Amino acid sequence: MFYLKVLEITSLYTILVLGVYLMTGLTGLFSLGQGGFVSIGAYTAAIAFMKLNLPFPVALMMAVVMGAVLGFLIGIPTLRLRRDYFLLVTFCLGEMVRAALLYLAQLTGGALGMAGMPRKVGLPLILISIVFITFILYSLKRSRFGRDCIAVRDDELAASMMGINVFAHKMKVFIISSAITAYGGALYAFNILFIEPNLFNWLESGRLIIITFVGGLNSIAGVIITSAIYYSFGEFFRFIDVWRDVLLALVVILVVIFRPGGLFQGLELLPQKLLSRTERK
Amino acid sequence: MKINLILQQLLNGISLGGVYALMAVGFGLIFNVLKFSNFSHGGVVAICAYFGYFISQHVYPNFIVTLILTAIVGGFIGVIIEKLIFRPIRLKGAPLTLFLVNSITAAMLVQQFFAVMWGDNYYPYPEFIKETAIHIGEFTVSKIYLLMLSISAFVLLILSYILRKTKIGIAIRAASSDIRTPSLMGINIDFVISTAFFFAGILGGVTGYLLGMAFTVDPFIGSMILKGIIAAIIGGMGSLGGGVVAGLLLGVAESLLIAEIGASLTPIVIYASIILLLLIRPEGISGKGYIVKA
Amino acid sequence: MDVLRIEGVSKNFGGVTALVDFFMVQHENEITGIIGPNGAGKTTVFNLINGVYPLDNGRIFFINQDITESPAHKRAEMGISRTFQNIRLFKNLNVLDNMKVACGWKVRYSLWEEMIRLPRPQREEKEIDEKARYFLEYLNLTQYANQRPDNLPYGIQRRLELARTLMAEPKLLLLDEPAAGLNPKEVVSLMEMIKKLQQDYNLTIIIVEHHMELIMKICSLIHVLDFGKKIAVGKPEEIKRNESVLQAYLGDGA
Repeated sequence: MFYLKVLEITSLYTILVLGVYLMTGLTGLFSLGQGGFVSIGAYTAAIAFMKLNLPFPVALMMAVVMGAVLGFLIGIPTLRLRRDYFLLVTFCLGEMVRAALLYLAQLTGGALGMAGMPRKVGLPLILISIVFITFILYSLKRSRFGRDCIAVRDDELAASMMGINVFAHKMKVFIISSAITAYGGALYAFNILFIEPNLFNWLESGRLIIITFVGGLNSIAGVIITSAIYYSFGEFFRFIDVWRDVLLALVVILVVIFRPGGLFQGLELLPQKLLSRTERK
Repeated sequence: MKINLILQQLLNGISLGGVYALMAVGFGLIFNVLKFSNFSHGGVVAICAYFGYFISQHVYPNFIVTLILTAIVGGFIGVIIEKLIFRPIRLKGAPLTLFLVNSITAAMLVQQFFAVMWGDNYYPYPEFIKETAIHIGEFTVSKIYLLMLSISAFVLLILSYILRKTKIGIAIRAASSDIRTPSLMGINIDFVISTAFFFAGILGGVTGYLLGMAFTVDPFIGSMILKGIIAAIIGGMGSLGGGVVAGLLLGVAESLLIAEIGASLTPIVIYASIILLLLIRPEGISGKGYIVKA
Repeated sequence: MDVLRIEGVSKNFGGVTALVDFFMVQHENEITGIIGPNGAGKTTVFNLINGVYPLDNGRIFFINQDITESPAHKRAEMGISRTFQNIRLFKNLNVLDNMKVACGWKVRYSLWEEMIRLPRPQREEKEIDEKARYFLEYLNLTQYANQRPDNLPYGIQRRLELARTLMAEPKLLLLDEPAAGLNPKEVVSLMEMIKKLQQDYNLTIIIVEHHMELIMKICSLIHVLDFGKKIAVGKPEEIKRNESVLQAYLGDGA
């Protein structure tokens, strides 16, 4: 039972990490506001279900759509500018979402948060979601979209000379990532059954970025493994749990300095990938 | 609102804005030279807020002495951070993204460290000033706020002098337009970058001290860097002068908004206006832009 | 037919003049050179042609279409391809993928089809793969297909950039100092390669170069820039004898 719970929580967070992987890992877009998207997803689904009495699948869909729409709106002013603007504005966005959730207390319960959601999300749904999202990310990574992502990350200017509409591409990436992140948030709300505005602050967003980097920019498998280790770590080593982030931070700095490609470099584990590799040769 | 209430808020806003300006400049100095958003500046602010609390409360409760000491410690923390986590990757010619990752990580490291060590408590600075307010006619002016304003102004003036008149200051500004220039002036680039971090660290030290004094110290004090960052964006990234003006504006806007629409709605309005501002005028109030070289 | 027409184009960078009132007409299937001392504005011409930054004044026409306002990626789609002075290959993509990136805009499949791996993306990817291998073979790069560009010798990287431009089947090719950093032997083979390219694919080519021998041998027309102004234009032998050109170069100490 304990292990199941750990697996559940770890898997939930891994969905969030996967969302960030596409934008930060593959495309080099740094957002310190993904925590905001988690909250948006969680609250949208919870409000849709609890206050609007919509069926659960519809509530999930609404969360995804909200995430995508918000991503689009934030993308318009920021994705044309230097990447720092995107980073800083998403940082603001995360805080803005937090402030808004606190302000809209009638709808969101304010600082008290929301509770009382029925447990609609169990391990099977979470695992199926992970498999599905991973499948999509792998598919994108090995075809044109993924190539364009890496090209944009490496050299935006050269990418635009290759006929890539850099702005539109970054927009698509951000929308997909935000949708995945919001979806993860919605699952969270109906699994943990309690959400509050401060749950996902900029630290959580930073953590998602950092895990992506430790895992490796070019390795979905590495990112999943790192995420699994990080989020289950505390459950198994309670005595050291509070130091978890400090340890993670130290590991990250060492990795960045000594192994900038991430712990797992370009490792991929799916059989398709291995097959396609041999085909190419 | 009554007129003197407005004036009151204006003054409070400017004082707070002075601290925001300090942060914006500390942030901007590093952004100019190395072209990445240095979140670890928030870490410096947090460490110094704690350090300032510790020495003023437990070692030597003298305002000026502890402030100067904290500033210097801040400067050295800046240098150490640069040496430990930025220099190794800079020498390898790492892409900017790695600088970013390291700076975010450092900020997180500091915040979580303090959260674990002293996260359960709020730590107040000693009351340096017995009488907390001065009355001028109908005005009531908080002395702490006046102090904050004058110290921020003083520090910024000194920095501006150093950047304009001294050789190393000119080298830092030259490095802002092209990182290779200082070596043409016969100054080692590593030294220039270290010095930039030292100055930024000093600003961070003063910021931490003032914030700690005005509020109380908690692990999340480093997140106040957000205000500095907002000021830097409004001012136009890379423009120190713009950052100062924007910091003051932000402080005033914040104070007036809080008085008018309340503390919970204010951040929403401010963040939303920044996003709008970027849509209309991304180069900020200073209008400084960046050219991508092919 | 005129492939490219530049009419009175000017560009300033924060008060520094990079290019003043520049005119140029590029005929089809010709190789043209742009030369001039360092900082004369040669690369600026390229950057304006393919839209790296907007121009201050003037207009640019590509095959009778006004492209002055077109964004860079549109110009690439219309058929303007380029190489870079300081090689800009994608470090995290292998040689083959570097090639494929350049014709990504041509695919007809949608993002959704790509996400769930429908047959069409797979089919088109296979075509792209074949095409990339064909051009690698064409420039003798096949052996490097699975390597990262970083690990390749300089000369190979330059050739790879050239091969990459072909992937988009361009009409106009801009080569920014293709001979920089190459040894004399490599320069000779580069010259042959450029000529061969031009003939095999009916390309129109503009070259910015310092290497005089290369320019004089393969260009039919040469424009000379100095401090952002065009000081001469003519056939190679005319340029060789032009007083103001000699002046500009000698004055520069070259």
